[in-house]
Amino acid sequence: MNRPAEIKRFLISEFLPDLSADQLDPDYDLLATGVIDSLQVVRVVNWVTTRYGVPLDQVEITPGDFRSVNAIDAFVTAFEETRSHHVHA
Amino acid sequence: MSPLTAAFDDRARRTPEAPALIWRGTAVPYGELGALAGVFQERLRHLGGDRAAPVCVPARRTPETLALLVAALRDGRPVLLPSAELGADTLRELTAGAGIDRVLTAEPSYDGPGGLGVETVVPRADAPAVPEGTGLLLTTSGSTGTPKVVPLPLDAVGRFTAWAAEHFGLGPDTAVLNYAPLNFDLCLLEVWSTLAAGGRVVLVDPDRATDGAHLRELISAHDVHLVQGVPLLYRLLAEGADPAEPLKSVRHVVLTGDAVPPRLLARLPGLFPDASFANVYGCTETNDSLILDAGPLLPADPETAGPLPLGRPLPGVRALVLGEDGRPLEGPGTGELLVHTPFQAHGYLDPARGADRFVRRADADGPRVWFRSGDLVRRTADGTLHLVGRTDFQVKVRGLRISLEEVEQTLLAHPEVADAVVVTVPDEAAGKRLQALVRRVPGSALHVLALREHCARRLARTAIPSDIRVTDAALPKGPTGKNDRAAVGDVRRLKG
Repeated sequence: MNRPAEIKRFLISEFLPDLSADQLDPDYDLLATGVIDSLQVVRVVNWVTTRYGVPLDQVEITPGDFRSVNAIDAFVTAFEETRSHHVHA
Repeated sequence: MSPLTAAFDDRARRTPEAPALIWRGTAVPYGELGALAGVFQERLRHLGGDRAAPVCVPARRTPETLALLVAALRDGRPVLLPSAELGADTLRELTAGAGIDRVLTAEPSYDGPGGLGVETVVPRADAPAVPEGTGLLLTTSGSTGTPKVVPLPLDAVGRFTAWAAEHFGLGPDTAVLNYAPLNFDLCLLEVWSTLAAGGRVVLVDPDRATDGAHLRELISAHDVHLVQGVPLLYRLLAEGADPAEPLKSVRHVVLTGDAVPPRLLARLPGLFPDASFANVYGCTETNDSLILDAGPLLPADPETAGPLPLGRPLPGVRALVLGEDGRPLEGPGTGELLVHTPFQAHGYLDPARGADRFVRRADADGPRVWFRSGDLVRRTADGTLHLVGRTDFQVKVRGLRISLEEVEQTLLAHPEVADAVVVTVPDEAAGKRLQALVRRVPGSALHVLALREHCARRLARTAIPSDIRVTDAALPKGPTGKNDRAAVGDVRRLKG
């Protein structure tokens, strides 16, 4: 499974039990619509950082990074790109 | 001699052949109903005891029951009029608690008029006395515990029937539909005001009360002048109605009891082309208090229309809006509505139960008894009152005050939402968790994400329910058709 699909599956199983994967648009704003509230965003951050090996102390996190499936995916991609820079440097 | 029955008896004497009731297709003339009441009066006197002692009559909607009520009121007996649906134990408990020793039922007159069922009850020794001058004792429709008894003074009822006759043009030629159960305060208009004015009451047969086609037929066939009802009645009338056959006899449509959903409101002018529309606000304790000429607001776009305003005080009614600090608001603002009406009870029969609801306080003209409605209202600059919700249904989530009913109204404003209920469940982190259960219209594929976007455009983020479940099943309702929040439970446990 590719990463956006995996993120989507996590979000649906945690917060949107009635939904199928194709109903959740990857750009759907999960914060503005209250799917994820300010407390639950911590759960998303924990899952994302654990699943994709993002060390919490090495990245700056803003809630906006977890606004949608695509935003989360972009957040992980951005982290991976900085890490590969570090490795090559 | 009771003012409630004086006008009725006058009519029975002068025009005995004029119809008082229409029941299952047959007219019951004033003379006949008055004579049947006379038979009951004799039987009541033969029961012995104090001729003016209060009695309990379960509110069955039959001509015989109405004759029995007239009989009791003629002798100055106050009548406790509870729902006919009460369980036997609750009925006895209620009767005994009101200090009443007899439950009377009028039997259908198959083999002779005036069949009377009498059940003897041992009244509670500490029961409060029924106040002097009481006509009817109605009960509140609370969903928990024994209902509270509301003694309505005869003179207050008289003031109401006089107002209603004038405002709605009731007279000897007018027919009024009686849809509400006889124990509802709505019957002060539908039944008692009509009879006091010499008109005819078109009784809906309880067995056919959910048959929309039958109700339309009843209205057309009997030339009904006034229809009053809760949203359910209008839904029944509107669904399946033939646009080519509107209900042309109706001059007054009274909307009451609950907010009529905008999509239903929009259908009413077509259904009642020659009617004016009144949104009426009231309760058992005070009777009608506020009124709105709703006609001009009905044609609004149902997709964007909000609920109708409550309107303004009726003649003689005073309204106070108390702010959060307990002081009356002078101008616009939101707070709890207190009313004082010429039609109100002075308190509950058991004063201990009403200490927090019937309160004495002064306004510019001196002290008077006000009824705390428990309704949260918003007053706009022009003095119009709008319902926000029940103060009981106001909750605090993360420090923000949220009206559950306001969130429900927001959900209902979505075109594919047929019904919605919003509740809170305890939450460890936030204290309370807001949840919504939503029924979508038939055939809709509405899902929770579209609803959340809809809410996000209209509500503060904290007021968007944490959990929203969409269902095709009916939502839990109480006896009057209002949402039964207690029966919803935690929506996370429901299957999607």
